[in-house]
Amino acid sequence: MRSLIYIVPLLFFIALATGSAFAQKQEQKEEPKVSGLFAGVSFERFAELVEKDTPYRFLFKKEEVVKLTVSLQANGDKLEDVLGVLFLKTEFTFSISKDFEVFIFKGEKKAVEFLPNYFQAPSKATLSAASVQDEFVRNRRYIIGVPGPGTEAKLQGKVISLENNLPIEGAIVFEKEAMRQAVTNKSGEFELLVPKGNKTLFIQNIGGYTEQRLLDIQGDATLELSIGEGVFALNEVVVSSGAMSQVARPEMGVQSLSVQEMRRLPAVMGEVDIIKGLLTMPGVNTAGEASVGFNVRGGAADQNLILMDQNTLFNPSHLFGFFSAINSDMVQGVELYKSGIPASLGGRLSSVLQVTPKKGRSDKIGGSGGIGPMTSRLSLEGPIGEKTTFILGSRLTYSDWLLDFLSEKIDLGASRAAFSDFNGTVEHEFGAKDKLRLSGYFSKDSFQFDPDTVYSYSNQNYALSWTHYFNDALEATFSVGQDAYDFEVEGEDNPLNAYQYRFDIRQQFVKAQFRQELGDRHLLNYGVHGIRYQLNPGEIVPFGQESGVIQDQVAPETAMDWSLYLGDEFEINDQWALSGGLRYNFYTFLGPQTIPTYAVGEPYLNENITGEARFQSGDPVQTYHGPEFRFSARYALSNQSSLKAGVNSMRQNIHLLSNSSVITPTDTWKLSDSFLKPQLGIQYALGYFKNMNQGAFEFSAELYYRSMQNLLDYRSGASIVLNDRIEQEVLVTQGKAYGMELYLKKSTGKLNGSLAYTYSRSLMQTDPSEQKEQINRSEWYPSNFDQPHNANFVGNLELSKRINVTLAGKYSTGRPVTLPIAKFNYGGSERVYFSDRNSFRVPDYFRMDLSVNLEGNHKVAKLAHASWSFGVYNLFGRDNAYSIYFVPEGGKLKGYQLAIFAEPIPFITYNFRF
Amino acid sequence: MRKAIGLFVLLLATLLGCRTPYEPEVPATELRVLVVEGYLDTEGLKSELKLSRTAPLGAASAFIPELRAKVVLKSAGGQVFPLQEAGLGTYIFEKNIDEKLSYVLEIELSSGERYVSGGLQPIVTPPIIDAGFKRDEEGVEVFVSTQGNANADDFLWTFEETWIFRPRIRTAYIYVPDLKNVRDRKDAEQTSLCFKTEPSPGILLETSSRFKDQVVFQKTITEIPTGNERIMERYSILISQKGLASKDVPFWEILKKNTEDIGSIFSPLPSLIGGNIQSLDAAKSPVIGQVSLGVIRQKRIYINQVEVSPWNYLDPKFNDCAIGEEAVLAKDYQAIFGNGAVVPTIPLMVGTTIIGYYPSSRRCTDCSLYASKLKPTFWID
Repeated sequence: MRSLIYIVPLLFFIALATGSAFAQKQEQKEEPKVSGLFAGVSFERFAELVEKDTPYRFLFKKEEVVKLTVSLQANGDKLEDVLGVLFLKTEFTFSISKDFEVFIFKGEKKAVEFLPNYFQAPSKATLSAASVQDEFVRNRRYIIGVPGPGTEAKLQGKVISLENNLPIEGAIVFEKEAMRQAVTNKSGEFELLVPKGNKTLFIQNIGGYTEQRLLDIQGDATLELSIGEGVFALNEVVVSSGAMSQVARPEMGVQSLSVQEMRRLPAVMGEVDIIKGLLTMPGVNTAGEASVGFNVRGGAADQNLILMDQNTLFNPSHLFGFFSAINSDMVQGVELYKSGIPASLGGRLSSVLQVTPKKGRSDKIGGSGGIGPMTSRLSLEGPIGEKTTFILGSRLTYSDWLLDFLSEKIDLGASRAAFSDFNGTVEHEFGAKDKLRLSGYFSKDSFQFDPDTVYSYSNQNYALSWTHYFNDALEATFSVGQDAYDFEVEGEDNPLNAYQYRFDIRQQFVKAQFRQELGDRHLLNYGVHGIRYQLNPGEIVPFGQESGVIQDQVAPETAMDWSLYLGDEFEINDQWALSGGLRYNFYTFLGPQTIPTYAVGEPYLNENITGEARFQSGDPVQTYHGPEFRFSARYALSNQSSLKAGVNSMRQNIHLLSNSSVITPTDTWKLSDSFLKPQLGIQYALGYFKNMNQGAFEFSAELYYRSMQNLLDYRSGASIVLNDRIEQEVLVTQGKAYGMELYLKKSTGKLNGSLAYTYSRSLMQTDPSEQKEQINRSEWYPSNFDQPHNANFVGNLELSKRINVTLAGKYSTGRPVTLPIAKFNYGGSERVYFSDRNSFRVPDYFRMDLSVNLEGNHKVAKLAHASWSFGVYNLFGRDNAYSIYFVPEGGKLKGYQLAIFAEPIPFITYNFRF
Repeated sequence: MRKAIGLFVLLLATLLGCRTPYEPEVPATELRVLVVEGYLDTEGLKSELKLSRTAPLGAASAFIPELRAKVVLKSAGGQVFPLQEAGLGTYIFEKNIDEKLSYVLEIELSSGERYVSGGLQPIVTPPIIDAGFKRDEEGVEVFVSTQGNANADDFLWTFEETWIFRPRIRTAYIYVPDLKNVRDRKDAEQTSLCFKTEPSPGILLETSSRFKDQVVFQKTITEIPTGNERIMERYSILISQKGLASKDVPFWEILKKNTEDIGSIFSPLPSLIGGNIQSLDAAKSPVIGQVSLGVIRQKRIYINQVEVSPWNYLDPKFNDCAIGEEAVLAKDYQAIFGNGAVVPTIPLMVGTTIIGYYPSSRRCTDCSLYASKLKPTFWID
C-alpha cells in the first residue's frame, strides 16, 4: 500500500519572546504539579501520595479501583497528564474541578470538565497572532492517507521538538477512543494502528505539554509532528538522559550533562568544554589544571573510552590540553558511565564517555557560532531535499598572540600553537524503516616550544551507519568506520641531526547492534563489535639532505579484537529492576612480528634473551580472551528513593605509554602482546538515590571498590620513545581504588545547581614477583592521580529569563608528587635524591569561577539569536600549583611551584544562532 | 534560509601563569646515602674515585666527603689493586690493568659498613677523532667527533675548562709596609695573570649507533656565549671521552633527567636513582653511584681571543673600577695603602721623580681574588 507523507505545519510559540506574555504567565494561577516514582502502588496509595503533596482531593469508589495499580514516573507533570496516561488502556475516566477535586469514574464516558488550560500551553492563552495560528493548527482537521481496504490504518510518524527540531524520545502518542498508544523511540519515531475516520491524536511529552491534532484518517500515512517542549526552553538543548531519573534507572554511576548545563559553566578562554563540565561531577578528577585527560574513580586517563557517536577519540585535547577536542556546538549531550557500563560498550578499564552528536535540523538551514579570545567556531545545519539532513561545524584558532603573551609569563616557552577541527554528519532516510548516516571528525594541532621543533598531531575519524527498524520491537544499527591518530615531531635545530619522529594508530571497526523489546519487561541489547588495530609505535627518519640521523622504526603492530555482547534490562516487579549483560572479548595479536624469547623465570631484560620467534603476516602471536560481566540492580524503597548495587568487569587491550603525570600528546600507544597482558579490572558499587521536594532535589550516595591487574608502571629511567622492547621497561603493577561519592542537585527554580563531594583513593603496587625493580619496595603507593578529597559546587541564579549567573568552585587535595629529599654532588653538579614514589603532595587546589550568560531577546522577527557569555576564571587568583620542580641555580637547588592560571582570567565570548 | 548577521569581537584575556618559590616540608630525619663516583682508567692514567654522603637540601654544601675508607679493585683472577686516599673523599687509582678481565670494587667505610660493586668489564674507549670549535652568532661551540664500535657504543664526555683571568686594572706596583714605600712587584707578587678552572657541570651522553657507521660527528661539548669571561684572552678545554657499557647508561640518563629535565610541563616523573653498588650489610642501605672501568681518551684544545674576535668581554661587576683621579702622595702611603684594600697603580711623576701613585681598589686589580695565580702545568702559552 502506498503511503503518503504529510507534514503537519509548524507552529510558533510567540511567548518565547514577548515580555507581555511573560507577565501574563506570572498572573496565572499556579497549577499543582505531580512528581515521583510510583512503582506498582495501588491507586488508593497513589491518591494519598498525590494528596499529600498537592491540593488535589480524589473522589472515587474504593471497590472500583481495587485492581488498579500505578506504575509510572512523574516529574513535575500536570495531574491530568498523569491520569491521562494512567487511564489510557482502562475503562476509567476522570474529571478535575476548578477546586482541585478529582473525580474518578468507571464505565461509560462522562462529560469531563477540563481546566481551562487543559491540553493547552499556558502561554497560548495570550491572544497574539501566533497563538491564533496555534489554535488553527490544533483545531484544523488534516486529511491524511490514501483510501484503501481495511478498517484500520497504520500511522508512521516522528515527533520532533518545535524549538530545535530534534526528535523527542519517550513521547506518548495516543488515540483515546480505540485506546491505542505508542511511545516514540530514540529517533522520535512511532508506529500506531488506528481505526480510520475522524480521530484526535494526542501527543504527550513527559514533562512537557500535551498537544492534539485532529485527523481524518483515510489510510496508511506518514506524518511528522512538531511539538513544543517547554515555553521558555532556549534552542538546541536536549538533556540526553532526561527520560529516566537517577532514582528509577537500574544502572548507577552514570552522569549526564546537557549542553545547556555545560554552557552555564564558566569557561577558560570562553570555550565551552565538555570535559571541564564533567569535572564538576563526583568521581571525576584531573591531574593537571590544563589537562584534558581526566581520571574516573581512580583510573588512569587512558582507561576512559571516549566515543564520539561510534568513533573512538584517541586524543581528546587541543593545544596540549587547554581545550577539549570536542566542539560543544556539535554535541547534543554527553553521558559518562563510571559504573553500570552497558554491555554494548567496552575496551577500556575505567569509564565510557559517550558523546551524542547533534543531528541536523530538518526544517530549514540554520547555524550557530561563537567568537572567543582564542578561537572561533561556526556550524551550519539543515535539510538537503526532503529526506536528507546535514550538520557541519568547525573551529579555528586565529593567532598565537595569547601564547606569545603566555610565554613571557611562564616557563611554557610556547612560541606557536594552532588548532582546527571539523565535524560533519549527513543523514539520509530510505523509506520509513532505514536510515543511513555518514559522520566524520577531523582535527589538527600544531605547536612548538622552541623555534626549531614542531609538534603536530591529528585525529581522523569517520563512520557510516545504517539503522533499520524491523518492527516495533526490534531495531538494528550496523556501522563501519575508522579511527586514526597521528603524532609527529620535526626537529631542525641542527641540520646534521635534523629528524622527523612520528607514530600513528589506526583502528577499523565494524559494529552490529540490536535492540529488542521482549514483552513489556525486557529490553535486550545484543551485538558484535570487531576492531582491527594497526599501530605504528614510532619511527624516526632523517630530515633534510645533510642529516646523519639513521632511520629507526619500532616494529608495527596489528591485532584483531572481537567482542560479543548480550545485555538485558529486566523489570522483575515494581520494586526490582535489573540491568545486566555479558560481553566476551577475544583478542589476537597478529604477525608479522619477531618476538624475543626470554629465559624461563627470568625478568624481561636484554641479557635474558635466549632466542627469538618469527611470525608471518597474519599469524596469531598471542591470544587473550575472557568474559566481562556487567550487572546492576535497583530496588525501589519508595516512589522517591531507591537502592542500587552493581558489579562491572572490564578488559583493556590497548595501553597508553606515559611516563609523565598528565596525558601528553607525545604519549604513545601499545597493544597487548606476548608480554604485556590486557589490563583487567572489576568494580563493585553500591548506591542510594533519592528525590526530594517533588523532584526539586536529587540526592545520591555511591560507594565503590575497584581492583585492577596488569597496569603499567615503569622502572626508573625507562625510555618509552622508540623502544622496541617495552616489556623491559614495564613493571607488573596492580591497582586498587575505592571511594564514596555524594551528590546533591537542584534542577529547578531560579536558584539551581549542584554540590558534589568525593572521597577516593587510588593506589598501586609493583607485583612482589617483579624482578626488575620494585617501586617503594612493593608497598602500595598512591597513583599519580590519587586526590582523596574533592568537592565541587555549581550555583546558578536566573536573575531573569535572559540573564543567568553561575558561580562554580572546585576543591581537591593536591596530587601526589615525588620530591627531592637530599642532595649530592655527581658529574660535576649538585644532584637531587628523590623520596619514595609519590610520597608528597602538591598544595591543595581551590578555584572559584564566575560567569554571566546574557541572552539576546527572542523576537521571532530577529535574524539571529545572540548571547554573550563573560566571566572570570579563577576569581580569587589563587596560585594553584600545577607542578613542583627543582632546578640548580648558581650551583644551588631551588624549588619552584608552577601555576598555570595564577591570576583571575576574564573572558568574553559572543555566540550566535540563526 | 536566513542570513548570518555581522559578527564582532571583543576579546580580553590576560592569561598569567607564574612560578613561585616553593619550600617542601621534608621530614627532619637526615638521610645520609653513600655516593660513589668514578671512572677508573685501565691504562695507568691517574683517575679518581669520590666517596661522599648526601646532604640535606638546605645544607650549604652538597658534598660531605667520606674519609678513611678502604677501597680496592679486585680482578676475577684474584689480583687486588688498592686505591690511595688523597683527602676530601678522593681515592686515587693509577694502574695499568688487564682489560680482558672483569673486576669488582670493594669499599669498607671507617664505620665498618661494606659495599661492593657489580661486575665491571673495562671498556676500551675508541679515540677522539677530532675536537675543535665553531664560531657563530651566539658564541663559540666546542665539539668532538668520534666513532663507536661494537664494544663501545655509548659515550660519556666530561671536560675541564681553564682560562686566563685578568683583572680590570693591572698594576705593576706593590706597597710594602716594612719599607713604608711602594716598589715594583716581583713575579710571585703579580696579580694581573690568573688561571680559572672549572669542571663540567652537565652530563653529556651519546649513543653512536644512532648515526651512520656509528660516527658521532661534531657533538657539542659546550657552548660559550659571546662576551663570556672564558675567552677574555686564552682558553683551554680538556675533553675526556669515556666509553660506557650499555647497562651503565640508564644511571646517567636518570641522573640527567632528575636534574636537568624537571620543571617543564611534560617532564617525566623523577626516578629513583641507584647504580651498580650494593650494601653488603643487613640494613641494605641505598647507595648512589655507577662505577665504570675503561680507557679515558683525552684531547685538549686552546682558543685565543683573537680567533673569535670581536668578543667584547665586559663584566658589569667591574664597571665601577677606575683609577683614582687624585694621586696618593708618599706621606699618605701607609694610611691609604696600609691595609691592602687600596693598591697603587700608576706613578705620578714630577720630572723623573715619583711623588705618588694613583690608587685603585684591590678588587679591581687582584685576579687572585677570583682565580688561581698558579699556572697549570699543562698550560702552553
